[in-house]
Amino acid sequence: MSSIAFKPFTGLRRSSAVPTTTNTTPSKPVIKFHVSAAKTSPKLSNRDLRVAVIGGGPAGGAAAETLAKGGIETFLIERKLDNCKPCGGAIPLCMVGEFDLPLDIIDRRVTKMKMISPSNIAVDIGQTLKPHEYIGMVRREVLDAYLRDRAKENGANVINGLFLKMDMPKHWDEPYVLHYTEYDGKKGAMGEKVTLEVDAVIGADGANSRVAKAINAGDYDYAIAFQERIKIPDDKMVYYENLAEMYVGDDVSPDFYGWVFPKCDHVAVGTGTVTHKSDIKKFQLATRNRAKDKILGGKIIRVEAHPIPEHPRPRRLSGRVALVGDAAGYVTKCSGEGIYFAAKSGRMCAEAIVEGSQNGKKMVDEGDLRKYLEKWDKTYWPTYKVLDVLQKVFYRSNPAREAFVEMCADEYVQKMTFNSYLYKTVAPGNPLEDLKLAVNTIGSLVRANALRKEMEKLNI
Amino acid sequence: MSISMASFSPPPTSFSVKPHFTHKPTPFFRLKRPFLLLSSLKSLPDNGAGVSASLAAAEDPSPKQKDLVLEKAMEGSAGPNGVATSTEVEALSKFEDPRWIGGTWDLKQFQKNGSTDWDAVIDAEVRRRKWLQDNPETTSNDDPVVFDTSIIPWWAWMKRFHLPEAELLNGRAAMIGFFMAYLVDSLTGLGLVDQMGNFFCKTLLFVAVVGVLLIRKNEDLDNIKQLIEETTFYDKQWQATWLDDTSSNNN
Repeated sequence: MSSIAFKPFTGLRRSSAVPTTTNTTPSKPVIKFHVSAAKTSPKLSNRDLRVAVIGGGPAGGAAAETLAKGGIETFLIERKLDNCKPCGGAIPLCMVGEFDLPLDIIDRRVTKMKMISPSNIAVDIGQTLKPHEYIGMVRREVLDAYLRDRAKENGANVINGLFLKMDMPKHWDEPYVLHYTEYDGKKGAMGEKVTLEVDAVIGADGANSRVAKAINAGDYDYAIAFQERIKIPDDKMVYYENLAEMYVGDDVSPDFYGWVFPKCDHVAVGTGTVTHKSDIKKFQLATRNRAKDKILGGKIIRVEAHPIPEHPRPRRLSGRVALVGDAAGYVTKCSGEGIYFAAKSGRMCAEAIVEGSQNGKKMVDEGDLRKYLEKWDKTYWPTYKVLDVLQKVFYRSNPAREAFVEMCADEYVQKMTFNSYLYKTVAPGNPLEDLKLAVNTIGSLVRANALRKEMEKLNI
Repeated sequence: MSISMASFSPPPTSFSVKPHFTHKPTPFFRLKRPFLLLSSLKSLPDNGAGVSASLAAAEDPSPKQKDLVLEKAMEGSAGPNGVATSTEVEALSKFEDPRWIGGTWDLKQFQKNGSTDWDAVIDAEVRRRKWLQDNPETTSNDDPVVFDTSIIPWWAWMKRFHLPEAELLNGRAAMIGFFMAYLVDSLTGLGLVDQMGNFFCKTLLFVAVVGVLLIRKNEDLDNIKQLIEETTFYDKQWQATWLDDTSSNNN
């Protein structure tokens, strides 16, 4: 059983009082989305709809591109155009197709993975992948820049600036006034304070989103991911040519996993945790220890850390301001994957705005933006829920992790896992195989837990 | 029993406290003298089946005896090597066991009366995992671990883990059943057969069976409550954005 004190979910409620009764009321109002809402909102007589996208990562870049293509006057505000973000850097195969990414953006194609259990039982997965399937490893600065440049090509205004705050409109037909510091080179390092009036805002500014603060979106729990980039000797790099490793165990992380991901010419060794953030250095040492033979002789070239949201913010939308990507908290559990979902949510939100404004000719309202939330939740809720269940079942304890690695050796599991990861659909498999899988899972869990009980007896 | 590196630094003094070692039910090999342990152990598989068979045939005390023998052998050579190896200890410590060959347990060495002694396999794996829990070691491509617990047949698991607990639970259920049947009979006059025909009594029976199955230790009550909360926690987090609809006002 996990040792975290189980905090009840309070959402936006200030009090931390008893939770179990508060959310069980069937109070979920049925939101009727009238198309008429768009019909009754005024036509913009002399201009296109103005939308600002705060943050120029994958979410912001994808949103800005879709908005610009849809004929909307788009402002993409990014504070650091050459930002080399700390990130695992893995993108699924479907992202390449859906976002028309050029293949040279991808540094490496990972086609094999090794899962290593707490007792060092190693299982190779990836044999079920077809020759054209892979997990792409990218450099964030390359990917982000590509998406931003494409947005610019389609007509978005890319502004190098730091978003400071936002004035909310007092009446529904007043614009949002954004305050940001523009860095222009000419003005020097300090930048110049500028204001900008827009009709809608997409907050794509990441885990510490200021837009989220501005709309009182609430907080989320987050994990700390700590990563060291290590340049290892060439002969050792050959092993990681197209292979990534995942280490599980209490020594490596109490609620996440440690990893060795190959990057362009070095490997990234890291780990993460939600509940024991202060011990992250210890976990990192343990991860390096477990991979020691394979990274021996390596030199650490960079140390980085970043937060990973664990669940969406209580409020992802307010007025004509919507959150996407990490700002909204769209990172999956279990695998911690966020790049694809950031880009996809940016695109989905932009599509909702384009549709609601009829290509920029009409004002949008909250209902149009809620359509994006509805579509997002409907499309990806199964994926998120399944990964949450997997994390709850298999990352609880060492026996659960042993069972997890044992299960990964099964071909059916590999096929289902890769299919759902690469194509982002939770496809129902063969029911007979599913039943066998369920039985095997329970068997593995029972065996591993039985061994653990015996281990406890050995403890004096 | 996590063994820290710091304890290794003054080796001669630690060896001199010999009686200290006999008390502890040691795991098969201790971290303190791994370097020397390795050098002496590596010669064991070369001896072939003879030594390993004798190891396997012996009962639990034998690992301790073996430990003592090795420790005696190492005591003499500990002095000069002690300091030199202190820096290399971390790189060289590994789980070693003559029956652990090629990254898995060699079942041929677990033979007892002509068939495999699965209990000993389970014991060995438990010790290995305990060792690794306290002394995590690096994985290696030349030496991968490929052991899979499913090679141990299901009846071995049943016999060892399920049956004792099943006996316990059945005993509890029988005691509760007898007492409740007597109580209900004395209160209502219904005999056992009549009780089984009554819906309320059947419900009571169901509750009793489920209770005995689910609530085995005192902590289980809290665990179950927490589990139920956990299953819906994530859903609540996702739906939060829809619940405060009334507070947002626009248009």
